[in-house]
Amino acid sequence: MALKQISSNKCFEGYQKVFEHDSSELKCKIRFGIYLPPKAETSKCPVVYWLSGLTCTEQNFITKAAFHQAAAEHGLIVVAPDTSPRGCNIDGEEDSWDFGTGAGFYVNATEDPWKTNYRMYSYVVEELPQLINGNFPTDPDRISIFGHSMGGHGALICALKNPGKYKTVSAFAPICNPIQCPWGQKAFSGYLGSDATKWEAYDATYLVKTYSGSQLDILIDQGKDDQFLSAGQLLPDNFIAACTERKIPVVFRLQEGYDHSYFFITTFINDHIKHHAKYLNA
Amino acid sequence: MENDTVDELDAIGLNDIYTALAKAEDQLEPIEEETEPEEEGSFGFYHTDLYDSQRRVGAFPEEEKEEQEQQHEAAQELTSSGAEQIQTDIQNDVDELAKLYGLSDDDKDSVVDPVIAVQPYKYTITQHNVPSTEEPLPLTKQNKESEIYPEDKHLGLQDESLKIEHTKTTRQPDGKGIQPQDKEEGLEVEHSPGDVDEFLQQHTQPPQSGGDLVEMENPTECTNQENNVQGSHSEEKQNSPADVSKETEEPPDIFCLQCKIPIRAFDKLFGLHKDHSVKEISVAVENIKEDVHKNMCKLEEQIAQMENFAGHLEEIFITIEENFGRQEQNVEMHYTEVMDTIASKHEEKLQVLADEKKMKLESLFEQLVECGKSLDTSKELMETIQTLFKENNKVEFVKLICFQCGLIKLILNICRLHEYFNTDINLNISTNAEFENNNLDFSDVENLLDSINTLPVPSAPVINPQAPNSATAVSLRVCWSLYSEDTVEHYHLFYKPVSDVAQGEDRQEFMIRSKETYCTVTNLMPNTQYEFWVIAINASGESPASENAVYVTAPSPPIIKTKECLSCEDAAFICWESGNINPVESYTVEIQNAKNEKEDNSFSECIVGIPICESLILLKPNGMYHISVKAVNVGGPSESSKPVSINTTGTYFYLNEETSHPLLSISDNGSTISCEEEESLEDLPYHCNNFSRCIAVLGNLIPFKGRHYWEVEVDENTEYRVGVAYEDTNRSGMLGANNSSWCLRHICTRTRHRYEFLHCGVAPDIRITIPPTRIGILLDYDYDSLSFFNMNINQHLYTFQCQFQHLVHPCFALEKRGKLKIRNGIPVPHSPTVP
Repeated sequence: MALKQISSNKCFEGYQKVFEHDSSELKCKIRFGIYLPPKAETSKCPVVYWLSGLTCTEQNFITKAAFHQAAAEHGLIVVAPDTSPRGCNIDGEEDSWDFGTGAGFYVNATEDPWKTNYRMYSYVVEELPQLINGNFPTDPDRISIFGHSMGGHGALICALKNPGKYKTVSAFAPICNPIQCPWGQKAFSGYLGSDATKWEAYDATYLVKTYSGSQLDILIDQGKDDQFLSAGQLLPDNFIAACTERKIPVVFRLQEGYDHSYFFITTFINDHIKHHAKYLNA
Repeated sequence: MENDTVDELDAIGLNDIYTALAKAEDQLEPIEEETEPEEEGSFGFYHTDLYDSQRRVGAFPEEEKEEQEQQHEAAQELTSSGAEQIQTDIQNDVDELAKLYGLSDDDKDSVVDPVIAVQPYKYTITQHNVPSTEEPLPLTKQNKESEIYPEDKHLGLQDESLKIEHTKTTRQPDGKGIQPQDKEEGLEVEHSPGDVDEFLQQHTQPPQSGGDLVEMENPTECTNQENNVQGSHSEEKQNSPADVSKETEEPPDIFCLQCKIPIRAFDKLFGLHKDHSVKEISVAVENIKEDVHKNMCKLEEQIAQMENFAGHLEEIFITIEENFGRQEQNVEMHYTEVMDTIASKHEEKLQVLADEKKMKLESLFEQLVECGKSLDTSKELMETIQTLFKENNKVEFVKLICFQCGLIKLILNICRLHEYFNTDINLNISTNAEFENNNLDFSDVENLLDSINTLPVPSAPVINPQAPNSATAVSLRVCWSLYSEDTVEHYHLFYKPVSDVAQGEDRQEFMIRSKETYCTVTNLMPNTQYEFWVIAINASGESPASENAVYVTAPSPPIIKTKECLSCEDAAFICWESGNINPVESYTVEIQNAKNEKEDNSFSECIVGIPICESLILLKPNGMYHISVKAVNVGGPSESSKPVSINTTGTYFYLNEETSHPLLSISDNGSTISCEEEESLEDLPYHCNNFSRCIAVLGNLIPFKGRHYWEVEVDENTEYRVGVAYEDTNRSGMLGANNSSWCLRHICTRTRHRYEFLHCGVAPDIRITIPPTRIGILLDYDYDSLSFFNMNINQHLYTFQCQFQHLVHPCFALEKRGKLKIRNGIPVPHSPTVP
């Protein structure tokens, strides 16, 4: 589990670094970005995991989201892994932008040929945290997770499937109900097979319905002018309805005029960092 | 050896004691020397007194002595210093007597003598103690003393002591002789202390010197013993020589307390002291030393006392000098006045007399002139008539004309005569030769003379302006002063309240009698001006009134409007009612940290000079304070008001009922608002400050730009608006619909709860999955933000970023039936601070 530093840039008195390592879950080399705030030089810091959306690598978030200042201020380590295994030479891997490479959907695939490498859920929930905790000054008890679009979906399911593991969760324009949307159906049928009941284990709206455990305070921002919202890919209303029914606290903010891009993320990233800091630094 | 024992006794015990005493005397002497000049000075000053006492002494010398003797007998424990003092006094007296009888020439001698006169006594004592003293010395002393004390009896005593000297001196060289034996036997004679006293009284009469010595404890005790020896001289032969030989074998080792002599243990067991209580000699010596020390202390005390007394006498002397000067001046003044008056009376009288004389003479002269005139007329008439008469006789009825003429003349003359006779000739002397009996009026002179002996009427006192802090709400301390030469028996202090009514006739005057130059006037009205004036009075009359001075009583304490006091973590806003009808100058706020109360009751902070009935006070968070207010005017501060307790945990505000919509009712001490009906709003009584459209009420938040947090508890299905608004927000508008209010609006639709965060009528599209029932509202001026939280789950709901132009107040509104509970005084929770 040797880490190979790919890059390191000073940023707001901390360092934005990129590492590469051989993943045991994914059976390939994979990179992740990590921001170490200045506070990490002297003490252990909480970790926030960011899951990116379709087509993204670790680079998108660390170069576009402008989270560094807030993370530095609140003393948060921010880890941004890649979105799928890469270079596994699986047939059809590169065929479409919403399946295969760059579209791991944060599930553990059960279908051939994906099931060997496409174990992003285990990677994000187990292997990566172990790696981070083993190599950086972290406080393992204080972690949280957030993400965008497919990563929003990933963040929600990680939090909902592991009550208490993540102190809080937030999302930008998440795919809230993948079973019901084209992207989700395509990916889940590919990775998990045709049995739709198996899909429910990776569907936030379904997971909420059975969620019990420690209180989650979910913050969701959604651009009102998001083309994927109107295309029915995100379906936040379903999730909110489920949360309302199950009394899961959600603040859902429909932001007038914003779309699905990183410009939207950059606009509200500070609110989300504060939201996480509130629970991680409490 | 008996002699040795006695000598050893001297050597061991008494010599020590005497050396101690001598040392003490050495110590004392400087003190005495210090006091002497002063005494001399004072004697110089008080020569008149001395003359007085001299006269007195001259008149009753015996009486005084007797008196002193009685004192001696009464005060058994009289100290040696006292004795010396008395001695000095006596010697003074004696000197004075001597002076009277021409025995002493110089005044100065009498002053100096007492000092010298003390000395011989010391020497006498030394003589007793130091046996080696030669004879001539005591003799010279004796001579000197005989000069001072002419009485024979005293000389007799001197003889007695001399006899002792003789025995001692003779005894000294031989060591073993008959006389020493005699002496020893003398010691053994059973003399009770009473006997000793008796003996002494017989011998110590004239100057009480012997008696004084008795009181001088140890040294005199020794002397007594020796006197005893002397007194019991006749009995010596009754003792057997055997006793003597026994006693010589060992030195005395114990001390007989009854006989006050050292004895041997043997004597205690078998001797004369068999039944006496005894002590070890060293202990006895210690005791004696202690006594000596005590007496020395007493002596010092008395010296100090006498010094004080002398100082006091000096003061009195100066006062008498001053008083004399004043009186002299007074008498001189009166004398001049009387003489002037008499002189002027004299002048006046002479003038009156001269005037009267002149008048009388003038009137007499006039009368004389009148008289002469009458005489002339009479003569003329007489002549005329005679002429006529002659003519009538001589002319024989001649010429008709002539006759006629003559007749006419005659007739005319007769008429004139008649006329003359008819006029009354005043023969009374117009003026009396006697002068009127003018009694000289000396009544005013007499008055003047009388007034010489009486006091002058005092002049008007000067009333002082009001001193700071001399007033309470109901009392005033008024001070005034008199002219130093005035003698005043008492004062009348008058006062009346100053009222705005023009020179009101109803203003009642009060009068207080005071012996002092101040008076505390009570039962006054708070915060009221009073006019004071004072007159001084003595037996001769009343002074004119002083000028009027206006004093002001302190105000009544203000009354804090407890229900209108506001606070937050960093400040408190206190307002109060003056409690006074008239305006006061300012107010003082006193802040006491309640947590320090036990340690220190004083006020930790004061804010003074507050001109209005409210104050914003900066405090520290999470404290407990007691705050009270005082009203202050020229007269001073009032009592403190009843304190109000301020808790700086969280923000406290109250609802401004004036703004409340008529349908809104406020209950639970202002913490619950409710709306019971939704009928037509048209006929309700609106005031200009009431919300008329929105069923709302404004809170009254402390005017402090810090952080304020409060909570609202609400039922899940109640529709409401909660937030903040400017105080002047449109009363006929809806909260959140304008730019002067910010609020969270809750609307229940059929399917779900809608929460709108409204400002200027617009709200972002925000969905909340859990309806909050406990809403936290955080107003933070530092960040210009207003945040809402679901406090049930510590969930941040929304934050307004708003540029508050001025202070905002909490606002609460109900859209339909329902109620809101407002919770105050909650510390800002930790978690909501982050977003």
